[in-house]
Amino acid sequence: METDTLNSLVSGAIWRAEQLEAHGIGSASQAWSEVSSLEEELAKMLPAPESEGRIARRGAVRAALKAGDYARAHALAESYAAEGAAPESLKAGLHKILEEDARAMKRRFRYAAKHHSLREARDLARRFREAGAFGLAA
Amino acid sequence: MDIDLAQLREMHTRLPADLALVMVGRAALALERNNHASGVGVSLNLEGVVSIGLLSWPGAELSKIDQHDHNRITEDGAEAVALALAHRHRAWRVVRRMQREECADWLLEDAGEGRRQVVALEVSGVDRGSIVARLAEKLAQVAKSTDVDQRWASVVGFEEPAAALHSAKRKKRGN
Repeated sequence: METDTLNSLVSGAIWRAEQLEAHGIGSASQAWSEVSSLEEELAKMLPAPESEGRIARRGAVRAALKAGDYARAHALAESYAAEGAAPESLKAGLHKILEEDARAMKRRFRYAAKHHSLREARDLARRFREAGAFGLAA
Repeated sequence: MDIDLAQLREMHTRLPADLALVMVGRAALALERNNHASGVGVSLNLEGVVSIGLLSWPGAELSKIDQHDHNRITEDGAEAVALALAHRHRAWRVVRRMQREECADWLLEDAGEGRRQVVALEVSGVDRGSIVARLAEKLAQVAKSTDVDQRWASVVGFEEPAAALHSAKRKKRGN
């Protein structure tokens, strides 16, 4: 797929996800998953030293977090930070995105944060996503 | 300056057709609910230079306005006007929409003289009242945008049609 086509697709996907989020519609997380995938495709085509490449890499990680897919967000951030051509500003930016998300999570779940680490909470969230509520009991 | 919203998609070929249609439709609703008709005069403030332009749009179906969120009409309508204005004033074209954490709504390209530059554009709409205070807010916001060559904000008012386009004047790249 050409970069122009991907740019058009990501514009439409971000716009849809924002509209769903603004209306509090649950499928917004699926829309953000789509955004993350399209940003990832853009990141494959645009090298990290290019400004649009860095925007796409940050976008892929952010959208994965908005979709609630923490494992994907962390995996993408790690792989982008490990790219040989990744500038320090990108590595710092990716780290900041994950840190801010972790802080926001702790603020939202203050009581849980006293008893569980963020890693444990995310592991539970991942298992819940994969297997549903009954899967946690298994 | 004539700004015809019917030409938005021709100005910005990377703008998805369905998105352009919704944005222009909402701009029309935002203007018509304020009792304006296509071909209205619009007060323009482009980098501090004040002038009067002519704003046209395809007719809206005001009877269906309740199907749209009030604030989305203002915000999406403002984006249609701002993108058309950016193209008419500076010949910029949309590259892509940005996620809000990038401190701008749109990434545009300035393919004019010399090296291609990328431009962050933050847009906002005001249904009633002055656009001055909002413009200051949006300039402060877009000034934080990284990895772009230029940072601009545009605010569109619908009560008395008005549009401003200003640069945040920060030139450093973020790499």
